[in-house]
Amino acid sequence: MTVKQIQIWDLPLRVFHWLLVFTVITAYITAEIGGEFTDWHGRIGALALGLLTFRIIWGFVGSTHARFTDFFPTPSRLAKYLKGGWQANGHNPLGALSVFALLGALATLIGTGLFANDDIAFQGPLYNLINKSSSDWMTGLHEIAFKVLLALIVLHLAAIAFYLAIKKINLVKPMVTGSKEAPKTAPIQTGGGGIFFFLITFAISVTIVWAVFSGVLVEYLEPAQSVPANISTSKW
Amino acid sequence: MKLKLALAALLGLATFTATAGPIEDQIKFRQSAYSFIGWNAAKIKTQVVDKPDTFSKEEVIAAANAIAAAANSGLGALYGPGTDQGEGWRKTRLKPEFFEKQDEAKKVATDFNREANELAKVAETGDIAQIKVKFGKLNQSCKACHDSFRARDPR
Repeated sequence: MTVKQIQIWDLPLRVFHWLLVFTVITAYITAEIGGEFTDWHGRIGALALGLLTFRIIWGFVGSTHARFTDFFPTPSRLAKYLKGGWQANGHNPLGALSVFALLGALATLIGTGLFANDDIAFQGPLYNLINKSSSDWMTGLHEIAFKVLLALIVLHLAAIAFYLAIKKINLVKPMVTGSKEAPKTAPIQTGGGGIFFFLITFAISVTIVWAVFSGVLVEYLEPAQSVPANISTSKW
Repeated sequence: MKLKLALAALLGLATFTATAGPIEDQIKFRQSAYSFIGWNAAKIKTQVVDKPDTFSKEEVIAAANAIAAAANSGLGALYGPGTDQGEGWRKTRLKPEFFEKQDEAKKVATDFNREANELAKVAETGDIAQIKVKFGKLNQSCKACHDSFRARDPR
C-alpha cells in the first residue's frame, strides 16, 4: 500500500503541547522547592494561563483536528468507536474524553491558582478579589486539581505506551512533526487555522494574561483592594 | 424536652471545658504570633520582591527584627501536649505528627529561628539582592513545617 504524509497537528498546537509539558513539570518543581522559587511558580502560572486561553480559542479557530467540534466525544461517536467502526484522523472519541478531562483539570488548576495563597508570602494575582477563607478553599482545590491532572497524565502516557507497544503506532512522532502516514487514497482533510487566526488568538491570550497578572483586572473590579499594601510608613 | 435541654447544657459545658484554659491560650498565642510574622513577611515581600521601588531600609529592618523577635520568643512553649486539638482564634491545624516526630519538629523549629535571625542580620546591610535570598530561605523554613506538621484544613 502506498502511503503519504498528512497533516494532523498544526504547528501552534504542537508548540502548545510541548510548552504545556514544560510548564507542568517546572510548576511542580518550583512549588515543591518553595522559597524564592514560589515567585517562579507564579510566573509559570502566567504562561500556563496563556497556553490554556490559547488552546480554548484555538479549539474554535485552529486547523481541523485542533477544533473541539472535530473530536467532541458525542455518545454516537463513542458507541461507534467502541464497536470498532470509527475511522477518522485526529483524536479518537476515547482519546477526546481524555483531552477534555485534561483541559478541565488544567483549567481548574490554573483558575484556582489565580486566587490561591501559600500562607507564607505568596498570593495568586486575583487573591485580592476574594477573602482569605475562600482563597484557602481555592488553594485546597488547587492541590486536588493537581492530583487529578497527575492521574490523567499517567493515563495519557499509559495510552501512548499501549499504542506503541501493542498497536505499533507511534503517537509521539506526529506531535513533533505534525504529520502521520496515511493511505495514498485518504483525502486531505485539514484546513483552517493559519497565521491570521493564530495572531488574533495569540493577542487575546497575551492580553488576558496581562490583565490578570499586571493587577489591571483587580484594579478594575475592586479598586479599593488594589492600593498597594504594606508600603505606607507609620511612625508609631 | 427537659432531657434534651439538659443534654444540650451538658454538651455545651463539655465543649466549653474542652476548649477553654491553657490549651486554648497556647493555640491562640501561637496563631497570633504567626499572623504577626505573616504581616511582617508581607511587608518584606512587597518591598523587596514585588515592588522593590518601594523599598525602605528602615521598614525592612523593622519587619525582619519583628520576625526574629517573634521567632526568638520561645514559641516552643506554645506547643504543649494536647495542642493538636482545640480552638484558638480558630481550630488549630497542627497535626498530631508534631508530637510523634520530635526530632523533625525540633529541626524545622530551629531552622526557622536560624533563618529569621539570618534575615535580620542581612536586613541591616540594606542590600535588596541579599535580603531577597535570605527571605526565600526563611520562606522555605516556613514551608518545611507547613508541609510536615500543618493540615490543609482545620481538623
